[in-house]
Amino acid sequence: MEKEVDARGLSCPQPVLMTFEAIQQVKKGTITILVDNETSTENVMRAAQSKGWTILAVDKAPNGVNTIRIENK
Amino acid sequence: MTGFFERFRKTKVTPQPASAGGREGILVFSHTSEVIAAEACLKDAGFDVRVMGPPPALHTGCDLVIAFPLILQLEVTQALRNRRIVPLQVVPVDNVLLEPVSLFQTVDYGAYRMVRAANMKLTIRKSDRTIVNVSGGGCPDVPYLAEQLIGRKMSEDIEPKRYGKTLCGYALQLAWEEMNRQCPG
Repeated sequence: MEKEVDARGLSCPQPVLMTFEAIQQVKKGTITILVDNETSTENVMRAAQSKGWTILAVDKAPNGVNTIRIENK
Repeated sequence: MTGFFERFRKTKVTPQPASAGGREGILVFSHTSEVIAAEACLKDAGFDVRVMGPPPALHTGCDLVIAFPLILQLEVTQALRNRRIVPLQVVPVDNVLLEPVSLFQTVDYGAYRMVRAANMKLTIRKSDRTIVNVSGGGCPDVPYLAEQLIGRKMSEDIEPKRYGKTLCGYALQLAWEEMNRQCPG
């Protein structure tokens, strides 16, 4: 299962809580999370890892949007 | 003779809540480090004081003030003087524009609750009081604080003041205490 979470424009803890919600729904698969600041990026990565998910990639676009892909097999 | 020895006896201050009915005063300091030292000094001495945000009408001092019962002004300033802490100003709160403002902001996200104290935010899962997010600040130790606290339960012996020595660590400690007050274990 795949899911996308658009947390652009939101400040913590909202991106983290949205990621938790997606993790609860997806359980196994990949989730793509869009954020637009470094703090949210770090916090979302930390939150995903705390739930046992793996960080597949973090793409940092020049427009400031960071795309985090996480996976749970 | 008793009177002579009485002079050397340490006086015990009867705690009076800073907001309990009587008039309040605020202590204004130049730097937040002085506020932290003054708060510790006054709490050690038994005064019931609160760290708050400065009132809108106050244009001097740093981002934090200490509220205290105005009736104890002499004792409070003496306790500070004994530790060589000198406030920039002692202001009686005699109109609404001089009322200090709360440092705390709480947002309820359903299963989660966030308490913000000054520049730091602490979020827990309400069901088991697990810390799920620590953010804010701008101090170098914020990632370390987050690493130490996220995933731990509020009931564990992990007060932020054990880990953080910066202003952010101090603000996080205030958020921690407020969260404990709002969501006691």
